Amino acid sequence: MNMKRVYYEDVRFFTSGVVFFWFVALLLFLAAFPFLFKNYYVYVANYIAINVIVAIGLNILVGYTGQISLGHAGFFAIGAYGTLVLMTKAHLPFLVALPLSALVAALFGFLLGLPALRLEGPYLAIATLGFGMTVTQVIGRVGFFGGRQGLHAPELSIGPWNLSTDRDFYYLLITITILLTLAARNIIKTRVGRSFIAIRDADIAAETMGVNLVFYKTLSFALSAFYTGVAGGLYAFVLRYIEPEIFTLLRSIMFLSMVVVGGLGSIMGSVAGACLLSWMDLQLRNILNIPYLGEWLKTLSQSFFSITGVSNIQFILYGLIMILIMLFEPLGIFGIWIRTKKYWKMWPF
Amino acid sequence: MMKKGFLVFLTVAAMAFGFPFSAAAEEGVTDKEIHIGQWGPQTGPAAAWGSVARGTDAYFKMINADGGINGRQLIHHMFDDAYDPAKTVAGVKELQEGKGMFAWVSGVGTAPGLAVKDYLMNKKIPWVGPSAGSLHWITPPQKYLFAVYPLYEIEAKALVRYAVEKLGKKKIAIVYQNDDYGKNGVQGAAEELARLKMKLVAEVPVQLTDSDLKPHVMQLKTSEADAVLLWTSVKHAVMTIGTSAAMQFAPQFLSTSTCSDFPMMMSISKGLWKGVIAATFAELPDSKSPLMAKYKKDAFDKFAAKDERWGLFYYAGIVFSEPLVEGIKRCGKDLTREKFVSEMEKLKDFQGISGKISYKPFDANDPFSRQGQNQTTLLKCIEGGAAERLTDWMTIQ
Amino acid sequence: MLNFLQMIVNGMAAGSTYALMGLAMVIIYKTTEVPNFTQGEMALLSSYLTYMFLDQYGVPYHVVFPAALVFAFVLGCVLEFVVLRRAKEPNILGMIVITIGLEMILMGFVSWKFGADQKTMPFPITPYDSVVIGKVFISTLELLTMGMVLLLMTGLFVFLRYSKLGIAMKATQQNDVAARLMGIRTDRIRMATWGISSTVGCTAGLLISSIVMQPYMMWDPLLKGFAAAVMGGMTSLPGAVFGAYMLGIIENLFGGYISIEFKSVVAFAIIVLVLCVKPSGLFARHYVKKV
Repeated sequence: MNMKRVYYEDVRFFTSGVVFFWFVALLLFLAAFPFLFKNYYVYVANYIAINVIVAIGLNILVGYTGQISLGHAGFFAIGAYGTLVLMTKAHLPFLVALPLSALVAALFGFLLGLPALRLEGPYLAIATLGFGMTVTQVIGRVGFFGGRQGLHAPELSIGPWNLSTDRDFYYLLITITILLTLAARNIIKTRVGRSFIAIRDADIAAETMGVNLVFYKTLSFALSAFYTGVAGGLYAFVLRYIEPEIFTLLRSIMFLSMVVVGGLGSIMGSVAGACLLSWMDLQLRNILNIPYLGEWLKTLSQSFFSITGVSNIQFILYGLIMILIMLFEPLGIFGIWIRTKKYWKMWPF
Repeated sequence: MMKKGFLVFLTVAAMAFGFPFSAAAEEGVTDKEIHIGQWGPQTGPAAAWGSVARGTDAYFKMINADGGINGRQLIHHMFDDAYDPAKTVAGVKELQEGKGMFAWVSGVGTAPGLAVKDYLMNKKIPWVGPSAGSLHWITPPQKYLFAVYPLYEIEAKALVRYAVEKLGKKKIAIVYQNDDYGKNGVQGAAEELARLKMKLVAEVPVQLTDSDLKPHVMQLKTSEADAVLLWTSVKHAVMTIGTSAAMQFAPQFLSTSTCSDFPMMMSISKGLWKGVIAATFAELPDSKSPLMAKYKKDAFDKFAAKDERWGLFYYAGIVFSEPLVEGIKRCGKDLTREKFVSEMEKLKDFQGISGKISYKPFDANDPFSRQGQNQTTLLKCIEGGAAERLTDWMTIQ
Repeated sequence: MLNFLQMIVNGMAAGSTYALMGLAMVIIYKTTEVPNFTQGEMALLSSYLTYMFLDQYGVPYHVVFPAALVFAFVLGCVLEFVVLRRAKEPNILGMIVITIGLEMILMGFVSWKFGADQKTMPFPITPYDSVVIGKVFISTLELLTMGMVLLLMTGLFVFLRYSKLGIAMKATQQNDVAARLMGIRTDRIRMATWGISSTVGCTAGLLISSIVMQPYMMWDPLLKGFAAAVMGGMTSLPGAVFGAYMLGIIENLFGGYISIEFKSVVAFAIIVLVLCVKPSGLFARHYVKKV
């Protein structure tokens, strides 16, 4: 019924008319988004889009190739600083500076991939973690990168358009995000993607089957770093100000959580995980303003906890949601989606 | 020529359409209310600074209980940004574009502040008293940004001057946090020492995450410093003094306003803080000044949560918003941002519970036209966390 | 020379705290293969509750400290029983994310209950006294920490090697199904592992709290402990302690002679180098997975 009989069915873009319909609907919604919502939500959307790009990039590494990384904040930083430095010091236009700095990030990804050839599990985690910390420290030290004072983003214009507002930048960002998402999906369907998956499932078996481990593992690191670098460069313009302390280990952990919560080895899962976690990241601070619930939490704090620390409830909630998703579905949001779909497929029988 | 014509057209258009509206009601101001926004980290690594925002909140409630300003109540909107610039930007945009703030006050941290500075300045929204003594706020000066916190350089200079001239110290060293805050301290100390024809004998950087300060104290000890400036966080200041005590190294320690909350410092250092000299920007918690007593009684005792502490960070929230309140008061009944700015510029030697605050008419080449307070005072920690005042308010340029 | 000796001693002092956290990480990793990011926060919660009883209720030390260790044990068991055991078909990354989530919950809880202000825990010995051996200083607290490390390391080593429970733990790690077939209740073993690990972490937390307490205080020791354990091989107790002392000494020597700013980064750089040569750490046997 749902079997794929020929290769073309596996690689083709829209598996059915329904998918095509929803895809177009999504595009229309994204195009209309800035006109439907307040500017603040456009900013939130930008923030989410950045995280979506990173999550997809990290998923190529973690979900498809089976390597762990706790150092992606480092690539993020390289992308952000690279773009700003190339634009302000070398006076390159944005559309040149962004891919260039992403390539620099990819180069670093390749280099980090070399020791990763021999490492796995916690050993790889510590090695990547060390990389992330080193990048932040070095950038913070070098005056050329603004040191701990950080860097301000210059005015951004592409051709005749001056992208000064969140709304203008949204269109650029969302276009890049969609293109990168589709690219990731296509890469996974090709020979390269299948090699990644083979490495994840059994690296030695993959090697005996003729997959070049050295090439594909480092390629996976480089590709993942490239995505993260692009996201970093764009993030510098969402925030318009960057400094080393933005790119901490906590951010790397956040990225990893997005991928895992979204669903390992699924592009749509990464999108969902990034949307959920980064949206909560920004929105949970308002938890005390929710009618009734906020009041109740405050009274609770007054009697049993400290009212000065009441905002920390957002962490508790955040952690709780993460745990619940992972407890019930090892494939994260994507797994939940699959199961819901299966459940309703035969409805009402 | 075309451009000029266009500008003229814009001005005419603005006068025709814009002015009547904006004169009628400034954003964030109604007949009964003035909306003021503020961010502050209630969670995350910098959460100890969160009490600044809560202090401002109690202060505004006190003003409202006294009848408000010119018949208007101050509505305080504060949010938690966890010291993450992305969240600061989100919160500021949400409040500014959603509810509409008349002005912003305080706001902890250099990085969060810098992330929203351009946004606020482009929209011409006044922002008074960023809670960080950074040079960024006034270089270049911004028309709508009024700094209150005395520069860390000023504190460094005052401390060095005191150590050299009054205590006769010969070798000054500094332990500094490796960021903007610490580097400003180093710069100030170095400048003052250069004036006195001396040099820092050791500059020791500390990372925010360091949990072992032995190597740092080793460096201080080998430099044989007889006075050490502590330009670090509270935790690292305590650890430096503790490690020094354990290694039997006992110079005179001097520290910044960040570590001038003596009762707290005494308690977490288990008594080692005694004898430390610190610069500060506000009255002491147990000050006899009538204004301070009023704040303690009417703001803190009535409106603070029961586990709140009347500490320096808490009433720093009052220090940073005093000029804002004074400026709004002076505007009288018809309150607009432009009028507020011009009234702020007329502040001369205004004194609340900090040193004297003055601003000058905006001058793009004079950073001090927007640096309100240039005064600091030195305290020495004595038995029981009480403070002995060593100097009066000192003005240092 | 004197400086050099002092730096070595300082490095060992710093390494002791890392060693305690490293030991705690290794115990859990040995049986479950999960790097436990909650480790620091379990210790944090135990330490803050200890602080509460000491400072606010004035319970004497000889009651509170043993009670804290018991509480830590129970806390570890409860977390395993209530949360980790419930995971369906867990994969390692999923488990890591669960421990990260737990970390956030515990951290949020502690900050909610106690606020973010820095505190210090009353302690029977002052952390700022020192013993002078020759001309080298070492503080009494650090001596105590080192003593604890040696005690715990030997204790755990003997326990894991010779006691019935210890052998059962090893069996659980090596082959879960086979262990169950031999009549070992692997769930209980895992629970006990979490309890023991949490107790070890709690000693580290208590010793750190005697200086400055704040909600983020366990992050740095946790990371360093993790790094040390990885350097030592992640499954070897003496390896973790050795790695921790190496880490502490390298940091101090580098900080003393070359650059103090990069000292924590250099430690990680050296670990990466070590791992390039010995991919499974210094003390663990590297075995290649069969296809």
